[in-house]
Amino acid sequence: MELTDADLVARVLADDDQHAFGELVRRHQSSVRGLLRQLTRTDIALADDLAQEAFLRVYKNIRSFRGEARFSTWLYRIAYNCFREDARRRKELVGVDEDQWQAEQDPQTVDPGLRHDLMHALNLLPLHERTAVVLCCQNGLSHDEAARVLEIPLGTVKTNVLRGREKLKRTLAAWGPN
Amino acid sequence: MIDDETLDRQLREAASYINDDGFTARVIARLPAVRREPQWLRALIVLGLALLGTGVACVIGGGHVVREGIIEFANFPIWLLLVFAFGCGLVVGAFAVIFAIRKTPEVRDLTRLDF
Repeated sequence: MELTDADLVARVLADDDQHAFGELVRRHQSSVRGLLRQLTRTDIALADDLAQEAFLRVYKNIRSFRGEARFSTWLYRIAYNCFREDARRRKELVGVDEDQWQAEQDPQTVDPGLRHDLMHALNLLPLHERTAVVLCCQNGLSHDEAARVLEIPLGTVKTNVLRGREKLKRTLAAWGPN
Repeated sequence: MIDDETLDRQLREAASYINDDGFTARVIARLPAVRREPQWLRALIVLGLALLGTGVACVIGGGHVVREGIIEFANFPIWLLLVFAFGCGLVVGAFAVIFAIRKTPEVRDLTRLDF
């Protein structure tokens, strides 16, 4: 029988079991690295450094995980905080403005292929909409969970998801296959 | 224009699985080392403290307290000694069960007891 995340967390808490923690990292590394790659606009090296930092923080602070939310929600929150702190250090927490977004959606500038188009369109969204869309639409978090991760009101999450979706749909409609 | 469900599905499909490629190993390598005293050291400390406590009790009581205690015990009726031994066994057993449950997450989750 496969252990749940809660079982593995309990093992880490009880015995500092690093094998159990390794299993948690293995399970969630793809989604966390994927989220951070989206947030850093596919800067893979930076995203992986931040993901590593996030997992180390999770290990150091695992005693503060009270199990009220899913482990993955707590993990995303820490990963997002790592990104935010890094972005603040780099003074890059500004996103892409609407004019730039409009300018960059020229169909001639992108390669064909729905996947590429979609990821490109996602990268053109402002940071707050991109983050909400990635968490809710791509990683399957509920609006409530995303609000906890991002530490913003539930209504703001819903608005960001809605606006992000609309922009993606418009972009995909302009670029071709759907 | 595509609907929300199709867009979400396409977004999930577009996010391909990222292979571990040594990522987990790098994280584990950077974890702080687990500091844990060896078991024999713990046992030695407990034994040492017990002997020290006994020694202090003997010194303070002048030695006769322990001797008189043993004599008192010897004068107890056998059934009372049996009850006392049984009670001690129950108490020690209860502590052992509680400790075992605390140390075993699966059992703790099963019993839903908050120790």
